[in-house]
Amino acid sequence: MNTVDYSQELSVIEGKPSLRSLDELISKPLDTKPDKKFYIALSITLSMLALFVIGLGFTFFYGIGTWGNNNPVGWGFGIVNFVFWVGIGHAGTLISAILFLFRQKWRTGIARFAEGMTIFAVMTAAIFPLIHTGRPWLAGYLFPYPNQHSIWPNFTSPLLWDVFAVSTYFTVSLIFWYVGLIPDLATLRERTSNKIKKIIYSIFSLGWRFSNRHWQHYEMVYLILAGFATPLVLSVHTIVSFDFAVSIIPGWHTTIFPPYFVAGAVFSGFAMVQNVLIFIRKIFNYEHIITIDTLEKMNKIILVTGSLVGYAYGMEFFIAWYSGIQAEQFTFINRAFGPYAWAYWIMVTCNVVSPQLFWFKKIRRSVPVMFIIGVFVNIGMWFERFVIVVTSISRDFLPSSWGYFKPTIVDFMILIGSFGFFFTWILLFTKALPVVSIAEVKAVVDGSQPSHHND
Amino acid sequence: MNHNAEISYIKKNIPSKVKSLGISLLIIGMLGIILSYYFDTARSAYNNIIIFLFLISIGVGSLFLISIEYLSGAVWSVPFRRIPEFLAGIILTLPIIVLPLIFNMSNVFEWLHPEILKIDELLKSKAPYLNQNFFIVRIFVFISIWLIFFYFLLRNSIKQDENKDQALTKKNIKFSAAFMPFFAITITFTAIDWLMSLEPHWFSTIFGVYYFSGSVLAALASSTIAIVLLNEKGYLLKGLSNDHYYSLGALLFAFVNFWAYIAFSQYLLIWYANLPEETIWFLNRWQGSWIYFSIGLIIIHFVVPYFGLLSQPSKMNPKRLLLMSIWILFAHYYDLFWLAIPNYSKNQVIFSWNEISFLVFAIGLLIIIFYAFANKFNLVPIGDPKLKRGIDFRL
Amino acid sequence: MDNKKLYGCAAIYNTPDEILSAAKEVRNSGYKKFDVHSPYPIHGMPKAMNLPPSKLGYAALIFGLSGAITALLLTFWISAIDYPLVIGGKPFFSFPAYIPVIFEVTVLSASVATVITMLFIFFKLPNNAHPLNDTEYMKKVSSDKYGIVIQADDDIFNESVVIDFLRKTGASEVFPIYFNDEELSVKPKILEPKFLLFLTATAIFTSGITYFTLNKLLYMTPFNWMMEQPKLNPQHSSIIFKDGFGMRTPVEGTVARGHLPYAFKNKPEDAGKYLVNPLPVSKSVLQLGQKKYDIYCSPCHGYHGEGDSRLRGQFPNPPSLHSEKVRNWSDGRIFHVITEGQNIMPSYSSQLTEDERWAIIHYIRVLQRSLNAKETDLQ
Repeated sequence: MNTVDYSQELSVIEGKPSLRSLDELISKPLDTKPDKKFYIALSITLSMLALFVIGLGFTFFYGIGTWGNNNPVGWGFGIVNFVFWVGIGHAGTLISAILFLFRQKWRTGIARFAEGMTIFAVMTAAIFPLIHTGRPWLAGYLFPYPNQHSIWPNFTSPLLWDVFAVSTYFTVSLIFWYVGLIPDLATLRERTSNKIKKIIYSIFSLGWRFSNRHWQHYEMVYLILAGFATPLVLSVHTIVSFDFAVSIIPGWHTTIFPPYFVAGAVFSGFAMVQNVLIFIRKIFNYEHIITIDTLEKMNKIILVTGSLVGYAYGMEFFIAWYSGIQAEQFTFINRAFGPYAWAYWIMVTCNVVSPQLFWFKKIRRSVPVMFIIGVFVNIGMWFERFVIVVTSISRDFLPSSWGYFKPTIVDFMILIGSFGFFFTWILLFTKALPVVSIAEVKAVVDGSQPSHHND
Repeated sequence: MNHNAEISYIKKNIPSKVKSLGISLLIIGMLGIILSYYFDTARSAYNNIIIFLFLISIGVGSLFLISIEYLSGAVWSVPFRRIPEFLAGIILTLPIIVLPLIFNMSNVFEWLHPEILKIDELLKSKAPYLNQNFFIVRIFVFISIWLIFFYFLLRNSIKQDENKDQALTKKNIKFSAAFMPFFAITITFTAIDWLMSLEPHWFSTIFGVYYFSGSVLAALASSTIAIVLLNEKGYLLKGLSNDHYYSLGALLFAFVNFWAYIAFSQYLLIWYANLPEETIWFLNRWQGSWIYFSIGLIIIHFVVPYFGLLSQPSKMNPKRLLLMSIWILFAHYYDLFWLAIPNYSKNQVIFSWNEISFLVFAIGLLIIIFYAFANKFNLVPIGDPKLKRGIDFRL
Repeated sequence: MDNKKLYGCAAIYNTPDEILSAAKEVRNSGYKKFDVHSPYPIHGMPKAMNLPPSKLGYAALIFGLSGAITALLLTFWISAIDYPLVIGGKPFFSFPAYIPVIFEVTVLSASVATVITMLFIFFKLPNNAHPLNDTEYMKKVSSDKYGIVIQADDDIFNESVVIDFLRKTGASEVFPIYFNDEELSVKPKILEPKFLLFLTATAIFTSGITYFTLNKLLYMTPFNWMMEQPKLNPQHSSIIFKDGFGMRTPVEGTVARGHLPYAFKNKPEDAGKYLVNPLPVSKSVLQLGQKKYDIYCSPCHGYHGEGDSRLRGQFPNPPSLHSEKVRNWSDGRIFHVITEGQNIMPSYSSQLTEDERWAIIHYIRVLQRSLNAKETDLQ
């Protein structure tokens, strides 16, 4: 058996790299020209993005009728994708805020990247409600501003809450990200020999000068932002769940939705971060910064949140039976054995069963296996939203208006295209900004802090 | 292997006046309970449920805290892990506390009455779950699960005091991992059985999580009370400072918010959808003098502790922390009272010597159990490999 | 070289332990205007430098609370006062439903305002012209070294003393930092043509964008789509039909609903024989009959059917309706008179619908009965 010495704190950065070598390693992708692999990857994501643009073009030109949405399933892929992408966007703030509050040092290596992912995922997500309105150019009306019609938005509508939640979440994540970037941009400013880059870095680093009088306030702000971002990240997916749960549709209206959605969001977000980081650490040689221990910890969180999601599935079923209400009972039987049973069982296998493999340490630490499980988790989470949105409204109270939802080719173009949109941003990000926080990683390297407390 | 060589711990026994306080509270409470059962059986049964769940909250919640410490690898809480371990000892008394309830079930549970079952189709359809035999089996299975995990977690921890074997930590990590699914299931179904089925037509999927949030809060608050009292009087190790208090305060603060989040989610969804079969539960708590009690719940369980623990210095101040912990522990009792009693006394809040004697009994019992464990075992897990790191913990 | 001024003395250290103890020594020696620079925050440094705790928490609290109150008032005013709508049977002021929005606004205002306060008010950033920027010193402390600068404007600053003192604290390097006062204090002149041009361009650009956003992007023509339906309005022309008319003449023989042609034209006896009053005698029917009688019949026949016209002899008075002849007429016969007219009485078929005519007939029977009651009526 391997023996872990619990009396010693394990360093989250392996090999005690020198601070200067960290600078070099992390800024290397920014200083070198992109290689062939990068261009291949970019061309793939760009062609997916082209698909996105074509799909959106069709939608704008011909209208929402090109999608599969119809009576009774008025919320098809548009909402499924929205919830999916917002969910992906939850891992970043969780890592940077909640793990920060819990003083988990292993977050430093992955926080910057996960925050970036959050921003791109929320951007992707925000597209969907916009195009779902049918006339996205009028989206300004969603905000309460005095207008010539002298009408105001409806503050009791969860769809309006979504507008507030997602825009707040995006803004706060962006600020959080930027605040973290300031010292790193200043480091890059001092390193670079390129004049144009120097000007850009100077502008965006605001003339940061590493003063400890500043660091003190900076850490305070980081704590405050983390304190605000934590309830915020919970509130965003909670509000997304309210979109469904305030209704009276069986399968939508259930009180466990808020925490269940949050757990699911963290679950899928972590799986996505883990998947992408596996490539990042390999390509950029960050194996000692994003260590296998870090990945193992992420896998543990995937296991926990996956089990929470499984708990919620179980509770829903049990209470549907316990309630004694026929419509409730039917909805859940219909989910598991009705026309969408295939989607339901894909969801259960991917979400509940596959992460249980992470009980085994060997699997938690095996990169290929964890990658596959991560992919499964994201497939499962996409299907979870599909099951919730589609099965519940395809067969509700009135059997005479039951129907079967069939997505169209445009639906699939937009779904695949949204991945193109997301990964294009990710690729550009890896070449434009440091994907690992230089200052934060330096602060947790062995020997970077005073050896003893004199207080 | 002796990783805690520098730490010197001399065991001090808790003075026996604590014991006499506990025993006198216990006896006063006991007498009150006997009288109460004699005069008003139904009301006493309801109160019995409240303290039963109150003690489960503290006992099983403490087990949860211990497991979380093992699983997350936290170090700051190691120097006072013994306190939740001792508090979890309350699980030993649960079979006795539940006994009077077993004999008075029909006083509280509507679904037990055959004449109601005959005319109520809904209750009839729930009978496979809500029936006396299965119900009793369930609670005893749950208690035995808790006892098993309590026994193993405590035994390994105590053993480690002697042999300082790191393998025991590893073992306990495995036990903790195994405990988690059991914990989730048992705590949920305890809540459904003993609180939700008091109003057997009503249902809410979040209810288990709601009770969980309250129970962890209660366990955390009672641990904090003991930790602050013992540490300020020097029973624990030297070097436990503001940073440790801060962590406790931050956890309390976090769970106060978590409780509010869960409670608000449940309320908002039921209020918004306005389905008669669900809203009735809140309407019962919004009638007569219960309306003030319900508003009081928001203030007592959320607003006061929220502002009491909001600022950084208040989380580090032992006096403030003690006050807030006592307050939160009381708030949990208040919460349970709000969950149970409106089914007994509609339209009107009742609170009298019956309720007080049950509460006094529960507090006395907690003190006695804690005293017994504290004098038998070390108050600090001196063999734990993470102890040194725990004491050196700084934010 | 003329303009170079001394900013302060800098010392470079290699390890965090050294910088921590050096910072303590500097503080203990009574220097006030000094600063420690490190590539990342060092634990215990605020204490070593004797910095007061950060007050940014208050900024967050104040901005958070004001955000919360603003959002509460906004939602209240909009939903309960300015634009009250009943939604889902909830009260106008549905506080639980506003909590999400209030919460989001609170978080948004608190976090944005706290960051802005820190960067722009506390730190007075952006400031790329600080003397320390673009120095060798900054290059070092931004990467892997730790540095202390004691500023020249400190009360007890003395260059040689400070340099000696810093050397003694274990610094690996000690050197003075100069800055070019003129270079740093160059202020852009307000009336410089370039700047004015820039200002004008910005003004035009922003107003253009604003105009475009408000009038083109967000502008929606008033709600009039119901008027613009793809259908033909009456009397409008149409290109679909050869004759250019939008309206069509009905096919021959078309009968409008409820307007069957009168079958007994010029056959009063047949009408009396075959037509039967379809209406029951009820209060509402009689009231309708009375109303219509008073409007259309009474000017000539009088309110009571006695032929006492109100037309003051400008028109020959009709005979009384109480005559034996009329009393013996069947309902259908009277119907014929109303429909077709008689003598100088014109047809009332365009003024009165068939039902109204029948109702009037019932009313006439009432009038007749009032003067010639039967004994059975008393029962």
